Amino acid sequence: MQFRLEKRPEPSRLMLYGTPVAAVVLTMFIGAIIFSLIGYDGIGAVREIFFTPLTNAFKWQDLGVKAAPLIIIGVGLSIAYRANVWNIGAEGQYIMGGLAAPWGALASHGAGGWWTLPAMMIAGVAGGAAYAAIPALLRTRLNVNEILTSLMLTYASVQLIYYLVRAPWKDPMGMGFPQTRRFASEALLPNIIPGTIVHAGVPIAIIVALVAWFIMTRSVFGYQMRVVGAAPHAARYGGFSENKTIWLALLVSGGLAGLAGMLEVAGPFQRMVPGFPTNYGFTAIIVAFLGRLNPLGVIFAGIVMAITFVGGEIAQTTIGLSNSATGVFQAMMLFFLLAGDILVRYRVRRVTPQVEARA
Amino acid sequence: MTLNRRSMLKAGVAAATLPLLGSKAFAQSEPLKVGFMLIGTVNDNGWNFGHAQGAKFMKEQLGDLVAEPTIVENVPEGPDCERVLRELAQSGHKLIFATSFGYGDYVIKVAEQFPDVTFEHATGYQRSANVATYNARFHEGRAVCGTIAGHMSQTGKAGYIGSFPIPEVVMGINAFVLAARKVNPDFTITPVYISTWNDPAKEADAARAMIDQGIDIIAQHTDGPAALQVAEERGIVGGFGQGADMSAFAPNAQLTSIIDHWGPHYVNSAQAVIDGTWETGDRWPGLKEGEVQIGPYGPKVPEDVVAAAEAVKNGQIDGSFNIFTGPINDHTGAEKVPAGVTLTDAELLSMDWYVEGVIPPA
Repeated sequence: MQFRLEKRPEPSRLMLYGTPVAAVVLTMFIGAIIFSLIGYDGIGAVREIFFTPLTNAFKWQDLGVKAAPLIIIGVGLSIAYRANVWNIGAEGQYIMGGLAAPWGALASHGAGGWWTLPAMMIAGVAGGAAYAAIPALLRTRLNVNEILTSLMLTYASVQLIYYLVRAPWKDPMGMGFPQTRRFASEALLPNIIPGTIVHAGVPIAIIVALVAWFIMTRSVFGYQMRVVGAAPHAARYGGFSENKTIWLALLVSGGLAGLAGMLEVAGPFQRMVPGFPTNYGFTAIIVAFLGRLNPLGVIFAGIVMAITFVGGEIAQTTIGLSNSATGVFQAMMLFFLLAGDILVRYRVRRVTPQVEARA
Repeated sequence: MTLNRRSMLKAGVAAATLPLLGSKAFAQSEPLKVGFMLIGTVNDNGWNFGHAQGAKFMKEQLGDLVAEPTIVENVPEGPDCERVLRELAQSGHKLIFATSFGYGDYVIKVAEQFPDVTFEHATGYQRSANVATYNARFHEGRAVCGTIAGHMSQTGKAGYIGSFPIPEVVMGINAFVLAARKVNPDFTITPVYISTWNDPAKEADAARAMIDQGIDIIAQHTDGPAALQVAEERGIVGGFGQGADMSAFAPNAQLTSIIDHWGPHYVNSAQAVIDGTWETGDRWPGLKEGEVQIGPYGPKVPEDVVAAAEAVKNGQIDGSFNIFTGPINDHTGAEKVPAGVTLTDAELLSMDWYVEGVIPPA
């Protein structure tokens, strides 16, 4: 029996939405087998990583807080990737948003008011967008690949944190420790559910995704993004400027990453520390693809990724599974998703060979 | 990491029967569950390995009084650690050790939500009713290493790989160079900060760069043996193990090592929690109490140098020698500590200046 991949005349919608689900299921299945083979409780690992965070109500707050930045960054990336603009440096834009926001918070320390948080939000978006403008400028003016520039700028932004927290922004009461002071209360995100750690960033993430979905499906901007990505020649013929699309894609994805950075620094962190970069910007790339570059899908993908993080920690405390296991599960998920993508555009056909070839 | 299937089941059952807030008191016969939160992995052969050894020692000493310790690895210093702390507290751990500096804010925060759980934060400075801090006087070991460096360095130049310029690290650098300059008054040291506790690639790169600039002794205040491996490979005079004996990675280059022996502290804390006598505070023992130990001397170290190093070690144990007794000048040459005056613990714990002989990083 032989199989052949045959190109579908049109991408399969069933497979388009089926493969992410299949990727998650396959990950659990194969993961359980692998971890059993190397001597762990494989079924227990899958249970703790994928199900305990959902069944234990006390973990929901963690899922929300962990998923929020992934969703916000993932939405921005999904818009950019739709337009075939490969912004890999969301981590850097997230950091710049996280740095732009406290700039205001620290300058106005003790003299803030109701306007502090909105101002920080604007600063965060502006910081992320401005940082993404550098790859946009280089790409549109000098035709420099945005994958390289956006990625490399991430490392520069990390050094900027180290510089700021060691010298100009150092906590005057911190005994020399490299961190900023804790922000004043008006510069901290309010908790929206008393008794939990759920901060205002969680509903903001959902709103961002819904607004982005509406814009992408219902506006000329969304249409431009999609058509430039899917059919660049047709887009040019239709009068959409490629350069303008690149600018928009990078500014939107950078701005949203910056917003996520602001929400993180004003929410869970409450001060800038050298440990601020925690790879949300890179993880969000997986989230964007797992969510099928669709803002609504990104919500679910963000939650799935948050489950693996939270579940990974549960598995460490309850069954002693090593931390690397979380990484293995996340990598498997992306692998199965990308491998499964071939089924969207191709179908598997069984072919009966005309002549039996025998050795 | 050493849980077997049976204790897994037990842990599962225990977790399932726990109320959500974990506020149910355990019956006295129940073994104490102790959790450890580490910033790296237990097989880093340095800092985290030292804590894991301490956890093991605690279990061996206390036997059935404590459950098999739970160790959570690779926990970043940020909101992620808050979640891990809560996870440990909710799953019935009544004593939790957070073993990296950056966990501080979050330990305090989670401890407020779990008043019946005892927390101890290594190398920290923030305390509350159920949060104590503990550390070891590593700088006493640095004084021994610095003495060896002063005797053995040919170029009179050492490199020092640090994580962050926090007092704990600055103190170690200062102790090292003060001791070295008692032997060789021209001795200098160049610190490099790599902004992480554990990144073997960065540690090795920093070591290579400094060796290229003419240093022949390397010391580090990061978690693993990467710098020593470079020292071995490049054939410089040598370096020092930090946190644990690292001679397996650099049999010739490791001149000696500072070994952290956290075990007795973990035994005492666990016993105090079991007995109900635990109290908050700051515990900072050193060579004298055996929490800091000097490992075996390397094959390159001549006998007279061993004798000099032992003298410094024993002086600190019997209290006749303190590396931070003046006269001490700062790196610009201005007198900072007058002759005969010794820096207090409070002054050490907020140390943000370098002594003479340190070439401050830009």
